[in-house]
Order: sequence, then structure tokens, then C-alpha cells
Amino acid sequence: MNVLIVEDEMSLARELEIFLSNANYLCELCHNGKAASEKIAINLYDFILIDLGLPDCDGLDLLKDVKTHNPEASCLILTARAEVYDRIKGLDLGADDYLPKPFSMLELQSRMQAITRRKFGLKHTTLKLGEFVIDMNDRSITYNGNIISTITKKEYDLIAYLILHKNRTLTRPQLSEHIWGSVVNDDYDSNYIDVHIKNIRKKLSVHAQPDWLETVRGLGYKIKI
Amino acid sequence: MALKLQTKLTLFNTISKLAIVLLFVFLLPMLIKNINHTYNDGRFRKQEAKLLQIVKDQGIGVYIQNGEGYGAYLPLKEEYILLDEADSNYNLDTIRNEKRKVEKDTIEYRILSHTFKVGNKNYLLEIGKSVSTLDETSGPLQSIALQILLGMIMLTILADFFFSNYILGPLDIIIKTKLIAHKFPNFGSYQEVKTSTADFKYLDKSIHQMIETIESTFQKEREFISNASHELMTPISILQSKIENMFNRDDVVDELKIRLIEMQKILNRLKSITKTLLLISQIENEQFIKDDTIQIKQLLQDVYDEISIRLEEKDIALNMNITDDVALQNVNKFLLYNLFFNLINNAIKYNKEAGEININSYIHDGTLVVEILDSGIGISAEQLPFIFNRFKKFRQSLQQESFGLGLPIVKSIADFHKIRINVTSQLNVGSTFTLVFPNYNSITQKSIIQ
Repeated sequence: MNVLIVEDEMSLARELEIFLSNANYLCELCHNGKAASEKIAINLYDFILIDLGLPDCDGLDLLKDVKTHNPEASCLILTARAEVYDRIKGLDLGADDYLPKPFSMLELQSRMQAITRRKFGLKHTTLKLGEFVIDMNDRSITYNGNIISTITKKEYDLIAYLILHKNRTLTRPQLSEHIWGSVVNDDYDSNYIDVHIKNIRKKLSVHAQPDWLETVRGLGYKIKI
Repeated sequence: MALKLQTKLTLFNTISKLAIVLLFVFLLPMLIKNINHTYNDGRFRKQEAKLLQIVKDQGIGVYIQNGEGYGAYLPLKEEYILLDEADSNYNLDTIRNEKRKVEKDTIEYRILSHTFKVGNKNYLLEIGKSVSTLDETSGPLQSIALQILLGMIMLTILADFFFSNYILGPLDIIIKTKLIAHKFPNFGSYQEVKTSTADFKYLDKSIHQMIETIESTFQKEREFISNASHELMTPISILQSKIENMFNRDDVVDELKIRLIEMQKILNRLKSITKTLLLISQIENEQFIKDDTIQIKQLLQDVYDEISIRLEEKDIALNMNITDDVALQNVNKFLLYNLFFNLINNAIKYNKEAGEININSYIHDGTLVVEILDSGIGISAEQLPFIFNRFKKFRQSLQQESFGLGLPIVKSIADFHKIRINVTSQLNVGSTFTLVFPNYNSITQKSIIQ
């Protein structure tokens, strides 16, 4: 998949490139609107990540270029200026999603994957984990064909996020940010993730041992597939 | 006791006029007496002159024959005239009050006594008028004067009242429209108060300028917070991505990864603070749209789902007693969610192990009231007024750190929705946060589109 990263902060653009390249995306960078317009007019991209705070143009104008020359591309707006009107305007102009800065790159990746799933209408996204089956559409976990109803929404979110970044250790801060990210509150450094994981294990072990859910000592958790 | 300027002016006018009138009425008899006596004395002199003229023209014999004195009384003895010979060295020319005995009655007379010579004889003329007839008009005059003057006072007070009402009207308008507590400082369109009084014009303009200054200061502060938090976002973003990429590298040993996680935690803290400041500034800059309709019960349920793990952690029982089918209209769901999350989160954070939280709602006076009661450590009376101030940290949370922005978020969201918050608390017993929602609708479950 080809990704165009339009971001005037060189170092952030560079980090995005490293991360997405590791996730097997092919990345191109540009740091201003003019260069971006040219690239959009010449090449075809699957994803275009646009920073709204470009020095020489309004990122929202780029969206119009994208609609003209790259109608198939999915646009993600990245912005520190997360003003509600910008958000609405961006989505109205056909952006597929938007991420306020600062964001976790894991979050970016999961948004990009969600867009891909929507785009290609991947309906049957079931996954076998040991003796459990995870259904990404129903957001359910089944054992022997029976849905485990004790698993809460939050617990499922946690499992889904770990599956999305399978075989990669996710740290507690990363997991917290995904789980509590939408809420603005004044807690930090809570150990609730551990409590959640403990509960998930307890609920699943009633049926079978979830060995695939690993604790990486001192670092965090991962799901091995 | 503070009185209004108009009341004070009217009171002063009334009292001063009344005092002057009473003084006048009190002095009236004396004045009348003086006037009467002066007038009367003038009359005496005229009569004396007439009489002397007669004597001069026609001789003394007209009145006195054979040494017999002349005397004449009015029937009721209120006036008399007397002409008689007098001792040759007797010399008088006075007008004074004297008592005279007239047929058993002692009557006080005002008497003109005048001696004059005709030939070599000395004569004495006395003209008298009883004092009581002189002064008899003063009583009725006094009461008439009092009535007339009181009437006049009433009239002038009324006139004063209407005039001061008219003249002080603009001041009233300035106070009512621009200075009453909940309207000050009233940012918005400036409406000049119509007045022809220069002082009020000046006052009105000054207040307006003051409000403009305050407004621009507020605006600057809001812009500063907004810009500062926006500007912080980018470097935080860069740091975060650098840490994440480093963490994913295979050549970084676990020892270093643990350090990176510590950095990540600190960065998360920085993010939280910045995000919170940004949220507050966005709320204050009215960057949010209030067009959601939510059911309070559902919203609290969502918060509960999110937060239940924290309740379990401390073994806290949460009891909800929420009115069904109450919906809030024209609100922002995201913000209200955050408001309740923070309040309930605080109720957990500052609670005791195995404590409890009660959330009740009821309709009171046409408004929806939601109460959140906890059995926690409470807030002391001296700290209570400051709990909504940013970065105030005084309650020692039993479990984890906070940076003192939870309640400021709550406050700005509440203000944005015009929700009134009342807090009562007792140390070591618990706190109660009461929210009063101005506009709600009772609607059935079905008509809500979730």
C-alpha cells in the first residue's frame, strides 16, 4: 500500500515513515502543500495523511486535490488544531478519519486498518486464538460455539487492540491511551490495564487457558498468533 | 443598611422641608405678634397725630373742659382712648404693654403714652388696645399655615420624586443592565444608556471601557492557553512517535525499553495536561456544538461501563437511582460524558476502601437535578471555595496522583451548558455534588435515537 505523508514537521514525518514502513507500507514524504499537490497530481496513493497546519496552504484545500486526482485514496487528517469546525469540515470534504495530535502510531495503524476493512467490505473477520474464536464484526469471543457473555466492552476492546498489533508488545501507557483516550480526565499512571487483563484471563480460563495472551515482564502485554 | 440614591435624596428632601416648615409654624405666633404690634403701633401713631392735629386746630377744649379728662372705651373694652392733664414734669412718649384694671378685670393692653404741652399745661394721651385682640388671629393662622405648607411639601416631594426618578433613571438602567452580578461583565453588544446627564454618560462609558478591557484580557488568556496547548501538541507528538519507534526496534534491550515506558508514562501525563487545557480552552471558546439529545440514564450507564473497573479495584458500591425517560436536549454528549466521568472518577478516587457512591436524580421546580454522593474523605470548608480552580491540589488522593484539572473541566462543561453545580462536604464523611440542569424534556424511551 502506498502512503503519502504530508507533514511539515520533518522529524514527525520521519517517525511516521519509519513506523509505517515497518508495518509494510510504502511511504513518500512531503513537507508543504505545493509539493503535496504535485505528488497527488502525479501518483496514485492508497492513503494520504494530511497535516492541517501546513506552512503554505490549508490542508483542507489539499483534500479537494485528492478528490480530483486520487479519488480512491483514503485521507486521514492529522492535526494539532483539533477545532471542532475543522473536524466537521474535513470529514465533509471527504476525509475518511482524523486523528488529533499527539496520537499513538498504533492508533494510526488501527484507524488505517479499519478504513481498509470498510473499503474492501471485509465481512468475515474471524480469528482463531487457541480454543477461542474472535469475531471482529460481532465484537464477540466464542468458545465451542458459545459466546462468552461475561466479557465486557472494554475487555473486548483491549483484546481487539492486542490482536490488531499481534506479536508486538504493547505497553501499559499505549493500552491505556487506547482504552481511555476519549475521556479527558486527570489521572495518570493507573494500573487499571493490569486489572482488565487479570479479569480477561479469569473469565476465559473458565473454558480454557488463554496462553496466547502473554505478559511481557516489565514491558506490557502481547497476543501471540 | 444600604439605600438607593433616589430614596436617600427623597428622604433628605422630605425631612429638611418638614423641619423648616415645623420651625416656621412654631415661630409663626411670634412673627404674627411682631407684625401685629408693628402694624398696630403705626396705627397708634396715626391716631395720635390725628388727635394732636384736632387739638392744634380746635384747641384742647374739644376734649378737656374744666380739668375733666376725656376717656372713651369700645363696648367690650378692647380699645380705649384717654386724654388727661398730667404733671408738668411728666414726660412720656412710649408704646408698651401694661396691665390695667377695668371694672374688676385685669386686661393687658398695648398702650401708647404721649405727653404734650398746650399752653403751659402738660397733657397725657393714652391709646390702648387689648393684647388678646391683637394676638387672636395667630392660632387659626398657625393651623392654616401648617395645612397649606404640609400640602405644599407633599407637592414638592412628589415633584422631587418624579424629577429625581427621571434624572436618576439612567443610573438605574446602568446598574440593572450592566452591573448586576450575573450580568457583569456583560460581553456583547454595547448599548449606550440614553441620558442627558454628563456624569452618567461618563460612568456608562467608563464601565463599557472596563468591560472591554476585561473582555480582551479574557480573550488573550483564552488565546494564550489555546495557542500554547496547540503548540505543545506537535513536540509531544514527535516525542511520542520517537519513543514508540524506538520501543519497536529489536536492537533495543529490555532494560532500555523499561526506561522508554517510563518516558512514555511521563509523556502521557504531559499529554493529559495539555489535552485538558486544550479542552477547557475549546469549551470556553465555544468550539463545541450543542445539538445532541441524550438520556441521562443511558449516559450514566456508559460512564459506569467505562469506570466499573475502578469501582471493583476499591470495592466501592455504586447505587444509581435515576429517573427514567428523562432526556437532555441541545447538549454535547462528549462533554457531558466527560463531566460525569470526572465527577464519578473523583467520587471513586477520594473514596475509602469498600465505600459507596449514590447517584440520584429527580425533578425539582421544573429542572432536572442529579446528585452524586460519596462516602469519601471529603473536602474541608476552607478548601471548598477553591476546588474548581485550575492546578489546585489539596485533597490527598488515597491511591494515585492527579494534576488538579478534573474539576476545572467539570466546571467549564457545566458553565457551557448553564448547569448549576453545588458542592457540600464534610471531612471524613463524604461530599455531595449537585447538578441542576436548566432544560430537560421528559420523553419516552422510543423517541430517542441513540
